[in-house]
Amino acid sequence: MATEDARYRQSSQYRLWSFTPSDLATLREKTNTLARTHISDRLLASEPPPDPLPAFLTPAEEYTLLTYFTYELLRAAAFCQLPTDIQATAAIFLRRFYVTNSVMTYPPQELLKTCLFFGCKAEGYFMRLQKIVDTFPKTTGEMVLAAEYVLCQGIRFAFDVRHPFRALEGAVMELRRLGDFADDRINEAHRRTRDILKFSPLVTDVYFHYTPSQIMFAALAIADEELVRRVLREAFSGQAEDAKDKAWGAIQDCKTMLEKEPLEKLANYGSDRENKKALKVLKDKLAKCRDPDRADLVALQKARREQASQKPKATPSLKADEEVFGGRIGQERESKRRKVALDGGDLFGPPL
Amino acid sequence: MAVSPVVTHPADALQNPRAVSSPLKNASSAQASTNGTPTTVPATSAATLPTSLDLAEQLNEDEKRKYVKGKKLGEGTYANVYLGFLKSDPSKAVAIKKIKVQKEYTEGMAPDAVREIKHLQELSHPNIITLHSVFSSKDQNLNLVLEYLPLGDLEMLIRDTDSVRYGAADIKAWMGMLTRAVWFCHENFVLHRDIKPNNLLIAADREVKLADFGLARSFSDPYKPMTSNVITRWYRPPELLFGAKHYSGAVDVWSVGLVFAELVIRTPYIAGNTEMHQIQLICQAVGTPTEENWPGVTKLPEYTVDKEVHPVRGRDHYMSMFGTVGYEGVDLLMKTLTLDPKKRITARDMLKHEWWHKDPKPTRKQDLPKKSGGQEKVGADLKRRPGVLDEDRGSKVSRKLDFGAAK
Repeated sequence: MATEDARYRQSSQYRLWSFTPSDLATLREKTNTLARTHISDRLLASEPPPDPLPAFLTPAEEYTLLTYFTYELLRAAAFCQLPTDIQATAAIFLRRFYVTNSVMTYPPQELLKTCLFFGCKAEGYFMRLQKIVDTFPKTTGEMVLAAEYVLCQGIRFAFDVRHPFRALEGAVMELRRLGDFADDRINEAHRRTRDILKFSPLVTDVYFHYTPSQIMFAALAIADEELVRRVLREAFSGQAEDAKDKAWGAIQDCKTMLEKEPLEKLANYGSDRENKKALKVLKDKLAKCRDPDRADLVALQKARREQASQKPKATPSLKADEEVFGGRIGQERESKRRKVALDGGDLFGPPL
Repeated sequence: MAVSPVVTHPADALQNPRAVSSPLKNASSAQASTNGTPTTVPATSAATLPTSLDLAEQLNEDEKRKYVKGKKLGEGTYANVYLGFLKSDPSKAVAIKKIKVQKEYTEGMAPDAVREIKHLQELSHPNIITLHSVFSSKDQNLNLVLEYLPLGDLEMLIRDTDSVRYGAADIKAWMGMLTRAVWFCHENFVLHRDIKPNNLLIAADREVKLADFGLARSFSDPYKPMTSNVITRWYRPPELLFGAKHYSGAVDVWSVGLVFAELVIRTPYIAGNTEMHQIQLICQAVGTPTEENWPGVTKLPEYTVDKEVHPVRGRDHYMSMFGTVGYEGVDLLMKTLTLDPKKRITARDMLKHEWWHKDPKPTRKQDLPKKSGGQEKVGADLKRRPGVLDEDRGSKVSRKLDFGAAK
């Protein structure tokens, strides 16, 4: 087994954030169920309880909204002129976050800003908080920061995301080295693949199911399949045919998934009437069924901080004293008082 | 779907979503409401606090509960370090580094913490400190569960000239461990950028481990500039002192060379008081960087050297100072202290150097010298802010090498 494969298996992307499609679907269903149960419990406990309970989003509806907000995030990232890898990292953070968190629990329009801000940090590019605040209407720095911990926890502190962009540069160099194709053809495929990689893998689930090199080859296959076949022939020369077939099969599956969100969709995502109407219905539905406690992240964080700082103060202060004084403050004082009392019952001594 | 790994963690946690009672959980209202008497949630918390943990919080709680926090080993401005152990096996000690919320840093989570977590999550190697887990505590502080390394650091051993004795074989063993650690970082496209003796911690089995990734970063793309203000001054290579914005693993190799030199002479080899002074000392100890020995050096943004040009030191000079590690040892040292980073040896080539195969063989790790009282030191090392010299250390260096007189 190639050591590169072994090394990839050590990455947090593989250890924590790679699933089979059925496992991922199960996770999303559980997340959705948990959120429904929690929100309905919460609403029923409020005074007065709403009757009837609002209709909740289905996992499929959550997924549609997530894709929409990923798209919004990419649009905002481009507006901020962020480099490609940071855009991609921010998008993947958002999608990872909503595997274990429901769209109904934490508002995605807030989280996407935090993803952009923290994506920059994770890539070692320190964007000023103010820049985000200036970019988005009705946004404060406090709002962006309030979700930072929630986000980090949600992505399980895996800050390193492996992208296929550099892999593409490598494959293009390899193709040039092989010298079987005209430069123009390679350049055209290079350009087209890069554009695909900036969009399709980020709005689909391919990062959860495929390695960066598989994603890169799948995108290159969309642009020019013959080029991929050529590289594979070279890479698997002298190896059994079925190893190559297996790799090719994975690339084909990944390609099918990427083609569900083709590059052409990017251009008319916002203007497509049908799409807009469907999204409006979902957004309205979300507005009615969201978690009342977690929608306001600033207030939530404040409450959590307060709860954390109050707790240790309230109870252990007495306990701490007892530890210092050997746990018998009360007793000692009591015994002194008794002694005084025995001595005559009067603090100032017996009558003269 | 042959390619997709099955990762069990999240799924496992999900089997049992919120089974354990959580501190945030109020009286369960589900049952109460079905029998018609809805529980009123306490007014204060109902408005703002969720009544139960969500999935991510639950996963976090699971991580947190795996460890028991013990006594405080150290307290610093950047972090507090606690001794801890595995709840399921109290004989397994860990160090818990709790990152403090920085009041003056108003941009959220501290960059040092982000860098450290990011890189340690990816690097798994016997000579790199292991990050077992990360969790956030209720007050939203970050806790890093790190490998517990009780025997202090290399600096302690170097400094304690009165009671710690070591020889060429020991140096070779330590250098082997350090070089493997740096090689592994570079192999994974990570620059450490703060290699120095007190970031080399010693495990119970005396394996040396590279720690403190607070200044680490991934290799940059060719068009992206990096900051040159990294690596503690004494270990900083000339290209960074000259303000280079595009650099490579060679910056770490220079630091490794200076750790090597320090292991031999048991005092920091090039200990400048300021950046200018550091450059002067490098010129004297190694040689003045010029267009002849380093094409392009005069174009670096902050290139300044004294008028007096010192020729690059020859082998004889190194043999007289560092001869205890033998001819090959000195050869390796000279290759790490090459002025031009393009000509400096790489970590990979260091591992192929013939010194490792010459006599004496490196000491077996169980026979390496050790020093007691490392526990406090571990606390001190882990809590430190990266990239700075310990305040008291500069003054403690009693013997400053006088390169002027050595001419």
